[in-house]
Amino acid sequence: MSLAAEAFVSQMAAAEPWPENATLYQPLKEDQILLSDHASSIAVQAYLRMCSLPVQVVCRANAEYMSPSGKIPFINVGNQVVSELGPIVQFTKAKGHSLSDSLDDVQRAEMKAYMELVNNMLLTAELYIQWCDDATVAEISHPRYSSPYSWPLGKILAYQKQWEVRRKMNAIGWGGKTLEQVYEDVNQCCQALSQRLGTQPYFFNKQPTELDALVFGHLFSILTTRLTSNELAERVKSYSNLLSFCRRIEQTYFEDKSS
Amino acid sequence: MNQNMAAAMELRCWGADWGLPSVHTDSLIVLAYTKFSGASVTVSPVDWTWKTITANIPELLCGDSVVQEPAQILNFMRKQRFNADYELTARQGADTMAYIALLEEKLRPALLHTFWVDAENYANLTRPWFASRSPFPLNFLVPSHHANIALSRILLTKGEAPLHRISEVEGKIYSDAKECLNLLSYRLGSANYFFGNLPTSLDAFVFGFVAPLDKAHLPSTPLQSHLRQLENLTRFCDNVLAAYFSSDQPRPPPPVQETVDANLQKLTQLVNKESNLIEKMDDNLRSSPQHKSHRADPKPGLSGARSSTPA
Repeated sequence: MSLAAEAFVSQMAAAEPWPENATLYQPLKEDQILLSDHASSIAVQAYLRMCSLPVQVVCRANAEYMSPSGKIPFINVGNQVVSELGPIVQFTKAKGHSLSDSLDDVQRAEMKAYMELVNNMLLTAELYIQWCDDATVAEISHPRYSSPYSWPLGKILAYQKQWEVRRKMNAIGWGGKTLEQVYEDVNQCCQALSQRLGTQPYFFNKQPTELDALVFGHLFSILTTRLTSNELAERVKSYSNLLSFCRRIEQTYFEDKSS
Repeated sequence: MNQNMAAAMELRCWGADWGLPSVHTDSLIVLAYTKFSGASVTVSPVDWTWKTITANIPELLCGDSVVQEPAQILNFMRKQRFNADYELTARQGADTMAYIALLEEKLRPALLHTFWVDAENYANLTRPWFASRSPFPLNFLVPSHHANIALSRILLTKGEAPLHRISEVEGKIYSDAKECLNLLSYRLGSANYFFGNLPTSLDAFVFGFVAPLDKAHLPSTPLQSHLRQLENLTRFCDNVLAAYFSSDQPRPPPPVQETVDANLQKLTQLVNKESNLIEKMDDNLRSSPQHKSHRADPKPGLSGARSSTPA
């Protein structure tokens, strides 16, 4: 969104409280959604639950095309549509709900830096594994991405998406990396997150922030998504404090519906 | 572990100008790190050679191995036991990775845009500089090659599909970059370096990104003027230049610490912002129609007294 549109949305957002019928759209959970989209969606859901904002999750096959920026997930609140975690955090802040207000400037700088680390390393690694590793592409990504569509539309869309992601990987210099190097990058990123988390319950001590939501989204999806090999999940599992962090957030915010 | 420290290391990078050892961000990062870690590296600028288009600058040659990309080069140097991060705790090492990711995601697109995509800067500064440092006939190819790479990188990472247009993302990348500079300024505070008294790899990265923006003579400068308001960042660049890149001393003593209170700095920034706002409001008020009645009646007596000639 351009800056003027963003300012306008914030102004309109501030006018009304959070409605009961807010919905979050994502691709079909069982058949279609891929690892990176699942991670982003879980991150947003975790964030909204941490803010105690009710939202309904709706699965649609064309969610990616409905989204204003082309990225999943997006939320429909009242008559506004906002996509991706960053803008959603700003949107909820305009409505008066924020998790990071109590942080001082240096801590907020750290939080933003760590969020960029997750985006830069984990998200890019997930995209690489999904779309640049031939085995995963053939076995998982193409079938899942093209599942709602009939032949040949599914194949065309899947190839188009793959080509787009590969272009992006080449532009940022990941095109030449091998799978081993990508796993090593993920390992380093998890090591950094693990060292930052230490023995604290959340990254900024007692209160969860959007950083916790983002990290949870990515780690949870990596741990629970079936890929061609378990290598990625194994790298994450080797950091026990990250595992207990995920379990803690899952129990606190996600298991109330089953009880 | 073979004693590779004795093997000479050669660094290929872009040449010096504007008071900096190199004008190219990635080359500057590696050069700063070599100074911080005390490595002795022969610097061979690729200006006026065919390497301007064949090589992936910066490039480190050590014996038989060739390493490219600043992060890889820094890793390689650490393995050769030239480690500027030796004294960092694990947590500080994690912070380093996070801040470097912040720089790459938020600041690099705006820097690429400022130098390579903005029409005024590209035509007046960047293209002449790089064309003048490339041999014939590469001077026609090298700048446009880099400009294309820069534009495609910005569009692919920040552009929103399916409408990849630069005008839509310009506002966003500049506001992200300004926020990133603010965050760096908060983090640096009034210290000389980001972690304690000695510079580390994070200082090298920040120096590499910020120094060209600070020192280049850019015709079109929204981001540069924003940077110049953040005095601790410009002071940081000047410190590094004076301490490690001045031609007389190899490793001078640590510079004198200024006792500027970080809170005072923040207050000054806020007051500056407020005074800018007040100025704007004042201008608006002066140009409003109701205000004209105040100024339209100069005292006739005074002006008459001034202009009256002595009889």
